[in-house]
Parts: sequence; structure tokens; C-alpha cells
Amino acid sequence: MLLPACIIISAFLLVPFVMSFPISLTNQRLIPRPYRFVGLDNYVQVLTDPVFWQALWNVTRFTAMVVPVQCGFALAMALLINQKIPGRNFFRGALFLPAITSMTVVCVIWGTLFQFPTGPLNQIVGFLTLGMAGPIDWLGDPRSSMPAIVLLSAWQAYGFQMVVYLAGLQNIPADLYEAARLDGASTWQRFRFVTLPGLRQTNIFVLIITTIQAFKLFTQINILTQGGPRDSTNTVVQYMYTVGFVGQKLGLASAVAIILFVIVLLISLVQRYVLRDRK
Amino acid sequence: MSSATQGQSGPTDKFPVIKFVSIAIISLVIVSPLFLLIVASLKPDRFQILAEMGSFKAFIVTNPTLKNYGDILTFSGNQPFARYLVNSVIVLTFTLLGGMLFNSMAAFVLAWGRLPGRAIILTLMIGLYIVPQESIVLPLLNIMNNLGLADSFAAQILPFWASPLYVFLLYQFFSQIPRDLYDAAVVDGASPFEIYWKVFLPISLPALATVAILLGIETWNQYLWPLLVTQSNYARPISVGIAGFFGADSIYWNLAMSASVVMMAPVLAFYLMFQKWFVSSVISSGVKG
Repeated sequence: MLLPACIIISAFLLVPFVMSFPISLTNQRLIPRPYRFVGLDNYVQVLTDPVFWQALWNVTRFTAMVVPVQCGFALAMALLINQKIPGRNFFRGALFLPAITSMTVVCVIWGTLFQFPTGPLNQIVGFLTLGMAGPIDWLGDPRSSMPAIVLLSAWQAYGFQMVVYLAGLQNIPADLYEAARLDGASTWQRFRFVTLPGLRQTNIFVLIITTIQAFKLFTQINILTQGGPRDSTNTVVQYMYTVGFVGQKLGLASAVAIILFVIVLLISLVQRYVLRDRK
Repeated sequence: MSSATQGQSGPTDKFPVIKFVSIAIISLVIVSPLFLLIVASLKPDRFQILAEMGSFKAFIVTNPTLKNYGDILTFSGNQPFARYLVNSVIVLTFTLLGGMLFNSMAAFVLAWGRLPGRAIILTLMIGLYIVPQESIVLPLLNIMNNLGLADSFAAQILPFWASPLYVFLLYQFFSQIPRDLYDAAVVDGASPFEIYWKVFLPISLPALATVAILLGIETWNQYLWPLLVTQSNYARPISVGIAGFFGADSIYWNLAMSASVVMMAPVLAFYLMFQKWFVSSVISSGVKG
């Protein structure tokens, strides 16, 4: 009874993972043709390619923007929805809707919203600034392309963090708030000294998961910008896709895949370390 | 009661109107892009969609029509949308059937079986969970090519019949079931498979529903893997199909809209019916450290 799952996980997860190490040391291609051992050449080639560094810098930039925006908004919404507001289940249901929307659909919607020059977002920007800020070519301008991707990504995914925060908030014992209130703590002090410490585990978990997901940024890039304009939204996975799938260079792409794995592993190890710290 | 004491009595009682209004406005803003999509899909052609996108007309449709839906389902040419839809349903159905069975069987054995290497297998599974799908897809594509499974349904179904995450989630649930239940079944002379099928599965519906929802959404929305493994329309799913509609140029803007609504509709319907389960599934997928 254990066998089917073991076979499937071995064949389609363990084997490709283990194989990617030797493959990354060859010049193997996706189409069958003779290949040879090239040592660490692929790693040298990747690590000396300015486009790869640009991609790595871009995902770092993306992560630095999306993690605070998405988690901050999710926490704010969780705090708001955790109160006794009439119809809060309805609002929670509505606020979670983007999270069940497929990224492909999200791209169709936001591709429309970002339309240059007369799309809805540009109209809003024009309206709010009384026409002083000209229309922005959201996805077409290297300066705004990554912030635009951050915006749609945060919109799509914050619902996940929101419900996790909500679960965390509901685990904080009510008597802690009662005690703080008796001590005369202000709303801010209760948030600072009861809510935040109570959410410590949740916070670490949410931040790490969001960071890992951010480093794997791909779908919205592939559909909306293909990494452009001028590589301003290129990411590590999009880079891997371009060299490995479009360029058919399996060996080179495997080297990128292993670098990605090492990054994700390091982030996970940080999580383990931080969480073990105080248990 | 003075307003001062009311202010002291806690966050729940302060500014109820302001809180209600702000949450209502925020919810409206958050949901509006989805509303916009549905409204746009009901407009007769792409010119009207684009022309009205920049004004409040984007939220109103004066002459609603289902024309785009008819068009999308009968659209053939290079992008047979109806075919993509059927393909997605096929992939979803078979992924769920196999995935539910194999993940839960493995979890049952890991939780209750008397297998020598149980702990090692479990550790290996948890270790493999860290490996991102993104970093194995190209070697996996190579394997599929070598197996002659490129551009097939099998390539989109087989790899998802078992995953460390779902085995682990079900394992956690099964391990919490009281020992007496298992022992009683053993005394009754039930075989391991019978215990799994007749005793454990029926009382594990919450855990099974969680896995079904997560696996179902994951399969339906999957993008990277089908993008790589489907080279023709033969087995291409809806997610990759819509991207094709949208990516090339905006000629089929109206169709991309209606296609998106069609893709979203089943998920939305399930969500509205089983909202609580959706939310708890998402939480449990996360809470494993």
C-alpha cells in the first residue's frame, strides 16, 4: 500500500532531483544527442552571466517589496476582520476571493488594468493626482514593471497570509488582552506587547513561506512580460526556463535549478534555526 | 456609560461604524477587479471592452450578451478552447482519483503499518518537501521525453499521484486516530487494506477534503509544468491555453475575458459552497513548520 506513492515520488521527484546534479556537470541538451562531462563549466557560465545576476537581483528586489507589502496588508486585514464587525464572515469570504483566483486569470485581469495609456489604473492615477502624473506604462517601463508585478502578486496571494494570521490571532488567549487592559495599556501598547509577541511563530512562518514563494516568481512574469522590458522583470525561474526550455540547454538549466534549490534550502534552514531558537 | 469607559473597554467596541465602513470599502476595492472581469466578459466586442475600460462604464454593461461565451466554446483555429477545458477536466479527474488513493494509502501505512524503515521513509519525505517543483521540472521533462510521455495526459497526471506534502498531512491526521479503533478492527480479523478502507477513510473526511481541495486547486491552476510538457493542443490545459489567448496580441481580448471567467467559475462555485473548508485547507497546508 505504501509502494505506489513511493514509486511515484521516487520516479518523478527523487530521481529528477538527484539526476539534476550529474546533468548540471554535462552539456546535455533536451533533445537526445551526444554529450560530455564539462565539470563546473555550467556553473561558471551561469555565475558570470550578467543576465543571471540581473535575474537574481530582480527576485531579491521583488522579495524585498512583496514580502512587507503582502504580509503587512494581510496582517492589517486579519486584525480588522478579527473584530466584532457585522457581516465579518461575508467580508472574510470576499477578501479571500483573489487567493482562489488562478494566476493565469489574475494576469488577464491585471494586464487589462495596467493598459497604457487609458487603462483603469492610469485613470485612477490621473484622477488622484488631478492629472499631474502622466499615464504610466506599467508593464512596459523598466522603472514601473517590477512594482506592477508586486502589486498584482500581492493582490492575488495576500489572502493566504491573512487566514494564517487570523488563525494565529485566535490562538492568543483573551485573558492576556484583559490583563493588559486592567494595566491600562493603550490600543497600540496591547498590539505591541500582546498581539505581536503572540504572533511570533506565525510571523516567522508567514515571512519565510512568502520569501520562498517570492524567489520562485515565474507565472505572472512568463505571461505578462517574459522577463522584459530590458530584463527588468527577469527572474531566476524565468532565466532557467529561457536557457533550458527555449534554448534547450538542459545541463546549463540544471545548474540554475540547483542554485535555486540551494537558495530555497538556505531560507528553510534560517526558518528552522529561528524557530528552534526559543522552543 | 461615559464615552471614556467605552473607550477603555477594548478594540471590539471602538469606532464600530468606521471599522465597518473601512472594511466594506476595502473589500469592494479588492473584489472590484474580479467584478470588472465578469462585466467585461458580457460586453459584445473587444472594442467596447477597451473603450469603456478607463471609465465607470467598466463596471456597467448596458447590452449584456453571452456571445463571448458562445464564441469561446466554439472557437477552433489555433486555440481550441473547448478542448483545453475538456483536457483540464480530464487531468483534474484522474489526478484527484489517483492522488487521493495513493497519498492516503501511503499515509496510513506510515502511521500504522509495522514496517521496518518507516521512520527513514518519513524523514526522506519531509526532506523532499523542501525541493521546489521549479528546480526539478527540466530533468523531469527529460525523463518524460525518454519515456515517450511528452505531450501526453499521463505526463500531467502521474507525477501528482503522490506528494510528500499530502502524504505528510494525511499522516498527521491518521496518527491522531485512537489506537483502540485500529486494535478493535484487528481483533475483528480485518486486513490492513480493510482497516484503511472501511475504518480509517470514513472518519477522515475532513483531512481528505483538505487534500482534495489543495490538490484540486493546484492541478487546475498549474502553469509551469503543462507549459513545458504540452507541445500541442492535444493535452494542453486551460491555464496554458488562456495565456496563449492573451499573450500573443490583444485581438482576442473579449475571449480572454470569457475564458478566464469559465476557468474561474468551477473554483468559485466550490468556494461558495465549501468556504470554511477552503480556508481551513489553506491554513493546514501551511501549518507544518
